[in-house]
Amino acid sequence: MPRRWLSGVLAALLTSFNASTALAEHEHSSSEFEVFVAAEGLAGPGQPHRRDDDSWFNADVIFGMTREKFRVFGEYFITPEEHDLERFQVGYELVPDTMVWVGRFHQPASGWNTEHHHGRYLQTAITRPTIENWEDEEGLIPQHITGVLVESRRPLGREAGLQVSGGIGASPTLSTGGYSPINLIDNNPGRHGLSLTARLAYLPEYVGTSSTGLLYGHDHVFLRSAAASAALGSSRATLGIYGAYADLAVGDWRFIGAAYYADIQLDGPGRDESFVSGYIQAERQLPYHLTAFARTEDSARMQKSRYVSLFDDHSGDIDITLRRLAGGLRWDYARRQALSLELSHVVSLDKRAYQARFQWSAAIP
Amino acid sequence: MKIVLAKVYAALMLSVVLFLCAIAPADAGEELVLIVSAQSNIDPLDSTLVRKLFLGLTVNHLGSRLRPVLNESDERIKELFLQNVVSMSDSNYDRYILRLSLLQGRTQPVVFKDKKKLIDAIAADPSAVGYVWAKDVAHDAHVKILRVLWHD
Repeated sequence: MPRRWLSGVLAALLTSFNASTALAEHEHSSSEFEVFVAAEGLAGPGQPHRRDDDSWFNADVIFGMTREKFRVFGEYFITPEEHDLERFQVGYELVPDTMVWVGRFHQPASGWNTEHHHGRYLQTAITRPTIENWEDEEGLIPQHITGVLVESRRPLGREAGLQVSGGIGASPTLSTGGYSPINLIDNNPGRHGLSLTARLAYLPEYVGTSSTGLLYGHDHVFLRSAAASAALGSSRATLGIYGAYADLAVGDWRFIGAAYYADIQLDGPGRDESFVSGYIQAERQLPYHLTAFARTEDSARMQKSRYVSLFDDHSGDIDITLRRLAGGLRWDYARRQALSLELSHVVSLDKRAYQARFQWSAAIP
Repeated sequence: MKIVLAKVYAALMLSVVLFLCAIAPADAGEELVLIVSAQSNIDPLDSTLVRKLFLGLTVNHLGSRLRPVLNESDERIKELFLQNVVSMSDSNYDRYILRLSLLQGRTQPVVFKDKKKLIDAIAADPSAVGYVWAKDVAHDAHVKILRVLWHD
């Protein structure tokens, strides 16, 4: 039933978003409609069931509207298995480049997701680092928060800039298999705790794409199932995330990396835990619209963590990757269309595997 | 006789080529200029503000948000814009522009493939900012030139 009214709302929004936007209409509003699509083939043992972001086909529909200082923005992700309103935000631009948003947003304390979100076409590699996985991919860090988000970019000196983002809202609940964030169009069983997330970034160039900074997250997570509570010996957990990231473009090279320390405090007799995870990816643009990339991911203490083991749904899939070495090639063979190949070696909680992925991705229009 | 005719023909062709080169609109003296509507009271923008505008960041003037307009009517204009305004390759700029909508729901700049439509659109909107060859707006009273972005 909720899906029905959502369809109505989406239809109304989409019809109001005329992509040709009519500059000449001389009204001070504009709209945006973009679809990122991707189709993927996967070969290799250890992944008999596809995860949502790894499905053979997915479409990420972006719609937005700006009217004076107000913005409405949404991201609807569709796969053969699911369709979710991933983000829906209503914002007001207090001063230039300072926005206050209300709604469901991607928490800012992520080095990867704040850059790529669900749009597969914009990320060079096919896979994302495991520590950056979404909740429905057995992601270990809550990513979708419902509440208030403030984003600001201020000049620093003549060239540089400082970017500050802070979010406060409702964090997901947790049961065996993963987090359940607030769903804007459906029921939300269980109790949702408080989430505080922040990102402080230095931009070497105010108008550039490079940045480096610190990440912070503090999530009170309530466990929704008796099995999860029994496994942890606690009915709730407080997740503290402390991280640093860098995303640097140097000539034809781009480096993106992040490291996270996760501190898990349990309520009751359960023993507190912590783990560390990080990755670095290097990309190099080559002639003929080719881009080569390589990424290494590593972690410590994840395999001993009872908290992490809650996310392993024992489906036979590779859910939690402890280490991964990946490399590949992307070919932007046409405007807004690319073919990518990625080969990787994965060490998960219970197996090792080689994987080969092939992907077509595009942005429409 | 045939050899003489061939020489005369070659000389004529050479003369025609040289004459066409002389009268063709020379690249020398060409200017790419930033334009706004003649009704607009936007002051000249410095290069940093112009770059900021075309990279999708907010640039306000007298409380009104300026709106960038991309000119893709001419491959040479596109090339000069990428080199001199945003300092990015075509593919990098395209991906950057795509990111705008994903990051903050920002609207991508409007693209025009036809220079007349672009000039008309800018003339009609006091908040629109675009770029064209100077010669295309030299006698157009509906738009005014804010600055020269590139000259030969």
